[in-house]
Amino acid sequence: MNTIIQNILVFTALAMALFFLIRKFFWTPKAKPSKSCGGEDGCGCH
Amino acid sequence: MSKQINVALIGNPNTGKTSVFNALTGLNQKVGNYPGITVEKKEGICKLPRGLKAHIIDLPGTYSLNASSLDENVVIELLLNKNDKDYPDVAVVVSDVENLKRNLLLFTQIKDLEIPTILVINMSDRMEYKGISIDIPYLEAQLKTKIALISTRKNKGINDLKELITKYKELPAEPCLDASVIDETYFNNLRKVFPNQLLYKLWLVITQDVNFGKTDRATYDKVEDFKTKSKADLKRLQQKETIKRYQFINETLKKGQTIDLKSAKDLRIKLDRILTHKVWGYVIFAAILLLIFQAIYDWSSIPMDFIDGAFASLSEWTKNTLPEGAFTNLLAEGIISGLGGVVIFIPQIAFLFLFISILEESGYMSRVVFLMDRIMRRFGLSGKSVVPLISGTACAIPAIMATRNIESWKERLITILVTPFTTCAARLPVYLIIIALIIPEGRFLGVISYQALTLMLLYLLGFGTAVGSAWILNKVLKMKSKTFFVVEMPNYKLPLLKNVALTVLEKTKAFVFGAGKIILALSIVLWFLASYGPGDNFNNAETIVTKQYASKNLNEEELEQKIASHKLEHSFIGIAGHALEPVIRPLGYDWKIGIAIVSSFAAREVFVGTLATIYSVGSDEEETIKNRMAGEINPILGGPLFNFASGISLLLFYAFAMQCMSTLAIVKRETNSWKWPIYQLVIMSGFAYIAALIAFQVLK
Repeated sequence: MNTIIQNILVFTALAMALFFLIRKFFWTPKAKPSKSCGGEDGCGCH
Repeated sequence: MSKQINVALIGNPNTGKTSVFNALTGLNQKVGNYPGITVEKKEGICKLPRGLKAHIIDLPGTYSLNASSLDENVVIELLLNKNDKDYPDVAVVVSDVENLKRNLLLFTQIKDLEIPTILVINMSDRMEYKGISIDIPYLEAQLKTKIALISTRKNKGINDLKELITKYKELPAEPCLDASVIDETYFNNLRKVFPNQLLYKLWLVITQDVNFGKTDRATYDKVEDFKTKSKADLKRLQQKETIKRYQFINETLKKGQTIDLKSAKDLRIKLDRILTHKVWGYVIFAAILLLIFQAIYDWSSIPMDFIDGAFASLSEWTKNTLPEGAFTNLLAEGIISGLGGVVIFIPQIAFLFLFISILEESGYMSRVVFLMDRIMRRFGLSGKSVVPLISGTACAIPAIMATRNIESWKERLITILVTPFTTCAARLPVYLIIIALIIPEGRFLGVISYQALTLMLLYLLGFGTAVGSAWILNKVLKMKSKTFFVVEMPNYKLPLLKNVALTVLEKTKAFVFGAGKIILALSIVLWFLASYGPGDNFNNAETIVTKQYASKNLNEEELEQKIASHKLEHSFIGIAGHALEPVIRPLGYDWKIGIAIVSSFAAREVFVGTLATIYSVGSDEEETIKNRMAGEINPILGGPLFNFASGISLLLFYAFAMQCMSTLAIVKRETNSWKWPIYQLVIMSGFAYIAALIAFQVLK
């Protein structure tokens, strides 16, 4: 039981991580952000 | 529901517009004591008395409404388009008490657009020091406006400004200057064709090459006829307009402002003479840089050791406390180790930005820009290119955006292309860990540590490569351009603790949360790829290794290590890494470094997090990242994997390679083409590979 739960948690974390990375780097936003790359615009370069 | 009005903050560069914006909105946009901080409009909300709300728009600094660069166009486009949703109900022109004459040129132009305008005279705390006194009622009468005398540094006068904005309907909308004084015949003809239009607005439409929006296009199309005057004639009329405005401003200030030079206690001239000296200026700048890098090393070592140890203990504690299983391993070996690889660099990044922020706030950075202009010209760059190159020490993205105030397209393009060579904060973790592994801890002449010196050399290498590439690009790119360089020399100021603290906090937060999210996600993916694999070699690792070493009498711990190593080699990541190995082996790297290089294409600092994750998979010992990397053995050559040759090779690779997807995206946006980012990616990465290859082959 413990193994199943742990595996479910691992695959959930993996799915979330992949979704985040794909959205971040391969999803082109339609609108330009109006603010510059300042503190927390998540440009990912800092 | 309370009513909301649009308020535009406009002014010359470096008058403190962003400080006024922060004071009104309570936001913390970056401020600095050098021009060009704001290149795009920024927005915020301010609560005013009597339930009124203001939508505050902080516009890029401009010296006049005669735009010469992209960021200045933003101001004109907004002020000329009444249909823009941000068109201001009131314009707040921010001026600096010490440069009132020059600042009023822009003020009179905005007044002539008949927009209700408030004049803010900022930095009033310096009036006594500079022997300046101002007759506010007289100036208000002459300039047909209301004036707020404020000091954002001392937080004085902000409430008076809010009160004036609230009463914006009472502000006179009369112009300061009758546009027809520029050329009576020309403007009379203009008036005949457009009887219901504002003359000065039409004049700007004729002379400025900006986008006026679709709605007004029909009206403005007709003004094309008035461009029949030759360009030289229009320029002559623009000059005449400026002269007329300055005549009016001089007349107004003659009575409205007095400057008692005897009571001015000015250190500025003496300091400028030394800090911008053609020899001592550079010596002092080099000494300041050296001091900064030394301090970064000396002051950060204790908190860094503490963080490193804490993450190693946390990983160990997680493994021992939580129930055994895949998710516990993911937490201990993947997430905690990966994040530890980022958090450990917080002290050094915070110290770097502390010093940069102090240099900006004090006004010294503008002197550096001035000093560098002498060098930059020889390499085909403008002095204005220094601001992006210096901003690039934080991040290439805002730095590339800061090129918008460079008037010449050729110089702007060259600056965009070479800025990513500047050492950004993301390179810092890679440099720091490699330097810690390959450079001894001793001190040069007993004072400067070798590690600090290496770090400084890497910063100079980045800057030198940027300038050298600019020289080549200047020769290669066949574009004609003419430019001039005007830089604002702000006064020296004691850095405000609040501004310095905010900058450090903001940059550190951006580093941790911006990169942290990517590193967290990548750590999970990498851990998965390193902990799972296809086929019998991975699934039956225990049986295969036990059989293989049956005759060698290994103890339990040694056998477990062999099994973990076998599993890693045959995991998904191991297979991918081995496929990559032939390409990177000539540089002195193993497949694990190869994986770290590929994953760090997302963001450079991911390199350390990736290695921390890969090295901790299957490890049961409480080990710090540095120790794990130091203990790695080169599988082919033997000896430490991270030795002097492979370390220098890695440092050079990261100094030159274009390892940042976000930078490529912003270059595409700023150049409006994929051509330039692709050139940048291919040339920078190719150059990095060759430099790293030569370094390793020569030093090994």
